[in-house]
Amino acid sequence: MRLQINGEEHELDVVTLKDVVKHFSLQEGLVVTEVDGIIVDRLHWIDTNVHDGMRIELVHFVGGG
Amino acid sequence: MMNALTIAGKQLSSRLFLGTGRYPNPYIQNKAIEASEAEVLTFAIRRVNLSAPDEDAILQHIEKPFQYLPNTSGATSAEEAIRIARLAKASGLSDWIKIEVSQDEKMLIPDPIETLKATEILAEEGFIVLPYTSDDPAICYRLQEAGAAAVMPGGSPIGTGLGILNPYNIERITEKLTVPVIVDAGLGSAADVTQAMELGADGVLLNTAIAKARNPVMMAEAVKYAIHAGRLSYMAGRIPKKKYATASSPVQN
Repeated sequence: MRLQINGEEHELDVVTLKDVVKHFSLQEGLVVTEVDGIIVDRLHWIDTNVHDGMRIELVHFVGGG
Repeated sequence: MMNALTIAGKQLSSRLFLGTGRYPNPYIQNKAIEASEAEVLTFAIRRVNLSAPDEDAILQHIEKPFQYLPNTSGATSAEEAIRIARLAKASGLSDWIKIEVSQDEKMLIPDPIETLKATEILAEEGFIVLPYTSDDPAICYRLQEAGAAAVMPGGSPIGTGLGILNPYNIERITEKLTVPVIVDAGLGSAADVTQAMELGADGVLLNTAIAKARNPVMMAEAVKYAIHAGRLSYMAGRIPKKKYATASSPVQN
């Protein structure tokens, strides 16, 4: 499936948003997801199916002032 | 001796807020955090670098529980700041947010109108809002009235180390506001921190002054003492400045 993740095209074999987070080996407790402009709480990753062309943002805390 | 700082009902063990950017490495950063005894740490929210997901994942290096204060840096409008704030809150790590909105890449001067808009909306949504703004007493007051839990005027532009460019304004702000005032941005050394506290600030937020000091850990410790010294001096009450001498020793025996 073709997904736009953090502005890049990715071809992934995934069903849910949880699979996407797992695919990149991200620490689940530290990542926040946004799908087509809507924040998806991590409790709902497992029941959020992803589809071709979806825009997914994966963000986290980084150093800053 | 020193009454504690309380923000939105949370009593803080330190009046120092510490940024987490630009340290030489995570080890020095942790040592500096420890030496500073800061309880509030600031962060930015950014996209995960998918080709090296662990590279910037700062929280994996931070050991103790802190009060996290994510910022909305990178936002150029209230709308963008609100989006970043909601993303930060969805982390489940904090409902505090430092509003930072600027369209000025060279000076990073905060946009007061967009900052005010974002503060109103996010305070209404239940965020603990700490807006970073310029040292203008009028806008600081408006931010307080809009629901800010604390207001954070800058001493000078971010990362410049120019210190407090307008001490008159900072003093006016600390006199006028009833919410805590945290002097944020531009402070370059322990002396600047002491000055901010002597002007009546309830706390300071530093990043570059510590992260880019020749010895960040030592500077963190210096700043801890500077806060203490400045606060005590403020409470003790400085003497008024006078034009002519007054002898300290008796003039007659």
